[in-house]
Amino acid sequence: MDRPETHVLLIEDNPGDADLVRLRLVEGEPQVRVECVSRLSDALECLGKETPSLVLLDLNLPDSRGAETFRKIMEKAPNVPVVILSGQDDEALAIKAVHQGVQDYLVKGDVSSKQLERAMRYAVERQALLRSLEIARKQQLEFKNQFLSHVSHELRTPLTCIHQYVTLLLDGLAGPLAPEQSDHLKTVLKSVNQLHAMIRDLLEATRAESGKMRVEPRCVSIGELMQQAVAMMNPTAQGKQVGLEIGLDSRIPLVYADPDRILEVLINLTDNAIKFTDVDGSVMVKACMTEADPGSVYVSVTDTGRGISREAQSLIFERLYQDPDSIDNNRSGLGLGLFICKEVVRLHGGRIWVTSEPGQGSIFTFTLPLYSLTELLAPVVVYQEHLRAAFVLVRVELAALTNPPRGNWRETWQQCLETLRRCVYLDKDLVLPPMWASGSTETFFVLASTDTERAGIMTTRIREQLERIADLKTKGTLTITTAPVEVGSVDRSQSLENQVEAVAGRVTEMIMASMDKKRKGNGVKHFN
Amino acid sequence: MRKPKILVVDDDPDLVKALRLRLRANNCEVITASDGYSVIAAAQKEHPDVIILDLGLPAGDGFVVLERLQSSDALSSIPVIVLTARDPQGNEQRALKAGAAAFFQKPVDNEELLNVIRVSLPHRSAPGVPMMS
Repeated sequence: MDRPETHVLLIEDNPGDADLVRLRLVEGEPQVRVECVSRLSDALECLGKETPSLVLLDLNLPDSRGAETFRKIMEKAPNVPVVILSGQDDEALAIKAVHQGVQDYLVKGDVSSKQLERAMRYAVERQALLRSLEIARKQQLEFKNQFLSHVSHELRTPLTCIHQYVTLLLDGLAGPLAPEQSDHLKTVLKSVNQLHAMIRDLLEATRAESGKMRVEPRCVSIGELMQQAVAMMNPTAQGKQVGLEIGLDSRIPLVYADPDRILEVLINLTDNAIKFTDVDGSVMVKACMTEADPGSVYVSVTDTGRGISREAQSLIFERLYQDPDSIDNNRSGLGLGLFICKEVVRLHGGRIWVTSEPGQGSIFTFTLPLYSLTELLAPVVVYQEHLRAAFVLVRVELAALTNPPRGNWRETWQQCLETLRRCVYLDKDLVLPPMWASGSTETFFVLASTDTERAGIMTTRIREQLERIADLKTKGTLTITTAPVEVGSVDRSQSLENQVEAVAGRVTEMIMASMDKKRKGNGVKHFN
Repeated sequence: MRKPKILVVDDDPDLVKALRLRLRANNCEVITASDGYSVIAAAQKEHPDVIILDLGLPAGDGFVVLERLQSSDALSSIPVIVLTARDPQGNEQRALKAGAAAFFQKPVDNEELLNVIRVSLPHRSAPGVPMMS
């Protein structure tokens, strides 16, 4: 029988051992081609060029020892079967390696050519089998996700029709309705909206599972997101006679997060809390900082509801999990909400968890990374180990002519942002990441290491460049304002790190004040 | 003052009928098309103020229609609002790049749709402009 040539990469630093193994290999199978290297670096180089049928690996090499050796090999060539050549003394490690995906191990000095041949053949077969299983699993997952995505789109067409006709009837466009008819239609509309939410969740969970969920972080005020969520959930809370309150530490800094996504998470958690809280109970949405984890904001939703059993607490964030205690609630949904929350928070680099005492209520908490200017600013505000002399904060506001904006507003402001980045000196000015946009207005801040006079030259340059963007002319207006950053009182004898932090603190305050004032519609006091 | 004329393009006749009722109730004149081929002819003949366009259409899908509208001097200025069951991810930016004025996934909130039609109409100060109720 004609078998294809077997190519073995032998990684062994002891020449005596290497020769012996080579001899045994050729004895057992004359068709074998053996390539021998003695260092891990050489082995990795070989694996980069060529894929052998099998790797025979000694764990202790001059440039790598123990578990690290096989981890590096398997990382470089995940589909190549690896058989460990272990000494009498490190058999335990070899067994551990097998648990982590190595195919087999042989104890040196105790190997016949028959054993070697057999180990090799089995390792190759097993690896091939594993690989085809993995491919089949991935195909199945992909097929399932495609199917779900297709289904959720197909369901939208009839749902749209139902939604349109129900709203036509409800709005009296097909004739007047008796109050009872109107009530019934409102029930239909409520169910239509629930079905719509389920279809959205189904697609969202599918995306999360296939790694296609995306977040677009911006510099965001978490307090404002909480207020929005509470305002949206207030009617539901009032309908159930459950109190809904907000608790906000006024010193909560800005966070770096996708505002739409985090609003979804807040609404989801608040909706759940109200759902499982009885009449006269209360729900509290809170944000706070902790000393143990100064880089994060902790956002929590606390209810006085029925609580969650200990077993359920560990499963509640899993996909499709339904708490058996809540099944009696006929509107319990698909069991995707908390899974989606977990994925959204995870994509932000945060954590989500629940603490609960059955009968007393639950606290759902998630963390979000702070929007930390200190790290961003350090490279531009420091020059030759000293804090630069003066800083100016430039605020560029692009307001669309209409709300919602016409056409591809996103592309317009992105083009403006790129232009803005080209207008600054990379070593001493910094265009900060986009601020949370309020519908049709985009605000960008630039910290310039310069005095007010020179900042004037810069703003003129920015204005000239931005006004050349044709799209902006037809779709929006441009406002540029500047304000000096007060750094006179920064103690320059303290550590440079603290000085940068002080500047970052001032800048953050100015940004927050300016965004706050804008939202309250009072104009911006800080800016001339 | 004349009513705004809206061309509704969708291959689901039931949805077209509902949108027609909704838009008429908001002081719009409505014309319709149900496939990609007849959109261009209808637009050339009727000069609508706004087009509401489905993406999944027989005889030339919505992207083909957008491309044809954009390449015509007479039609490229008509705002097109895409209303589709398709996923915004992947389709929204593509439609906006192809010249659409707005993108909605079905089902759409009526007020949001009417509002976008309102802001898509030519500016109010221009003479002879259509007005919605």
